[in-house]
Amino acid sequence: MEVLVSLKIVPDDQDIQTTADGKLDFSIAKPVISSYDQNAIEAAAQIEGANVSAITVGPASINDTKQRKNILARGPKQLFMVADDTFQDADANVTAKAIVAGAQKAGNFDLIVFGAGSADTYAQQVGIQVGELLGWPVVNGVSKITAGEGSITVERTTETEVQTIDVPLPAVVAVTSDIVEPRIPSMRDILKAGKLPVTEWTAADLGSDTTKAIDIIETVAPAPADRKREVFDASVDGDIDKFAAALAEALR
Amino acid sequence: MDFSLTDEQELLVDSVNEFADRYFDEEKINAWYDQHGLPESVSRAYLDAGFGYMGIPEEYGGVPCDKVTLGVLTEAVGHATGAVMPFLNNTLAMVDMLDMGNEDQVKMCLDAYEHTGHPIFSLGFSEPAAGSDNAAMTSVTREQADGSFILSGQKTWVTEGEKLPYCLIVAKEEDPDRKNRDMTMWLVPMNLDGIKTAPLVKIGQTIMPFCELYLDNVKLTPDMLVGERKAGFMNMMKNFEMERALIVAQGLGMAQAAMDDAAAYATERITFGMPIARQEMIMYHLTEMEAKLQNTRSLLYKVLWMMDQGKSTQMESALLKYYGAKACTEVASDALQIYAGLGYTTETRLGRIWKDLRGNQIAGGTDEIMVYICGRQLAKRYARK
Repeated sequence: MEVLVSLKIVPDDQDIQTTADGKLDFSIAKPVISSYDQNAIEAAAQIEGANVSAITVGPASINDTKQRKNILARGPKQLFMVADDTFQDADANVTAKAIVAGAQKAGNFDLIVFGAGSADTYAQQVGIQVGELLGWPVVNGVSKITAGEGSITVERTTETEVQTIDVPLPAVVAVTSDIVEPRIPSMRDILKAGKLPVTEWTAADLGSDTTKAIDIIETVAPAPADRKREVFDASVDGDIDKFAAALAEALR
Repeated sequence: MDFSLTDEQELLVDSVNEFADRYFDEEKINAWYDQHGLPESVSRAYLDAGFGYMGIPEEYGGVPCDKVTLGVLTEAVGHATGAVMPFLNNTLAMVDMLDMGNEDQVKMCLDAYEHTGHPIFSLGFSEPAAGSDNAAMTSVTREQADGSFILSGQKTWVTEGEKLPYCLIVAKEEDPDRKNRDMTMWLVPMNLDGIKTAPLVKIGQTIMPFCELYLDNVKLTPDMLVGERKAGFMNMMKNFEMERALIVAQGLGMAQAAMDDAAAYATERITFGMPIARQEMIMYHLTEMEAKLQNTRSLLYKVLWMMDQGKSTQMESALLKYYGAKACTEVASDALQIYAGLGYTTETRLGRIWKDLRGNQIAGGTDEIMVYICGRQLAKRYARK
């Protein structure tokens, strides 16, 4: 089964800082694989009989040799990378169109696997839009994948039940973060990764439509709230009730 | 001069951190220290994650790995766990056996290692009267008419000696006298008649307990011989230099963990109306600590690089052990001091780290022996020709 896993490379959120005027500073935030995509890569690699390739689309900064090896140390046999500033702050629609173009250029895939959502925006849109653009069945919230003949059987866990669904291929799935724990790349995996093929494309190579569906006007951190400094004394009659009421009001 | 880690080494560190995240926390580590051992599931996991195959020759299923990378692995484990783990000892013991053992011994030890993640033998080298002065060992074998050998004597500081089914013992042939340097190595099953152990209680590094070993007319057979007869001393010394470097690597990682804790704390602890990090004496501690960490790290990787280049590190490995073991103990001590009263309790890990690191000034060669090695070499090196 030819499987393509789509992943996002994002700035490490631990190192994103806020400047004095509320803007975001990414200067020390190194590129990392979006965390839920690690689960998606592992889920794809564990599908029986799967030959896994990976694809990623983003600005030029995602083209980091360490992350390329990181991806290839986790199961995929090759990587397709579109690192082009055309995709800086790309919305889900632009990204989905690029991935569709990339998937069609890269080969004939039976299944495209996505994570639950990206670690930065968590829009949970790209996988669904890719499926729609391709005209393929899309199932999200997938917590288990079993390979079949020209189809897969997936489990989909909702709040109240576990659905078992047979999906004819080709199809798109978006998996949950608890589908499987990602492997810890061993030194052997890491050393092999450096020798696996990476194909780089520009936005022009893809030729996908990069018209923005969403315009970002501004990104600012929320203003820090002033501390209320309301003090309640548990030993004073009625204060506990006042505390509970104040808490309820604040939550409203 | 490129001081950076390669992508592969950085990814290895990330993997170690992830491994430590999944398998270790303070509660577990303290419990394992109390229980004097890691669950086998953890040493198995270390092996399955591939770390346990690093440093082992490729022909035995090992992962190609230069000594610098082995140092990176060892430092990362020390840093991520903030504790002494048996992994580096396990790898060194396996390397020794693969180097010196015969086909049967190698097969047996490798099979067991792949199963459990730890070697099946402990090391019986030191004696009550012969640690630094190992020429003074008096454990001796006496060859018998039927080709067997009778072994008598005593060993001590035998790490995991009470638990493991075999012990790699070095003993003199025939004559226990100091002048006799004919030493031979034996892979001795611990269930033979005449073998007894007695526990010793360490004050630190307690996850790896050691014991005394009493050898009373133990009958050895030629199949237990490891390496050439009378070559035991040289064989014992062969991997000493790598051991010194890896002990420092582990200690460095742990000292760095202590620094991470203490330096962060210094920015958070408020006394006299400000974080203690703004007090000059604390600044002095932090500066001294950072200098020692960076110096140890630079010297460590230089020595490992020299080994990878095939250069002699007889002096440098001793210099590294001498400087690094002491520097790391001092870093941990200063870190504990920064935590003050809290540092002196088991509420933080600084005390454990400090006790553990103190042992490294003795294990793998004492500070004093390292000075002796360096001193002789330095005189030779600097004498005018």
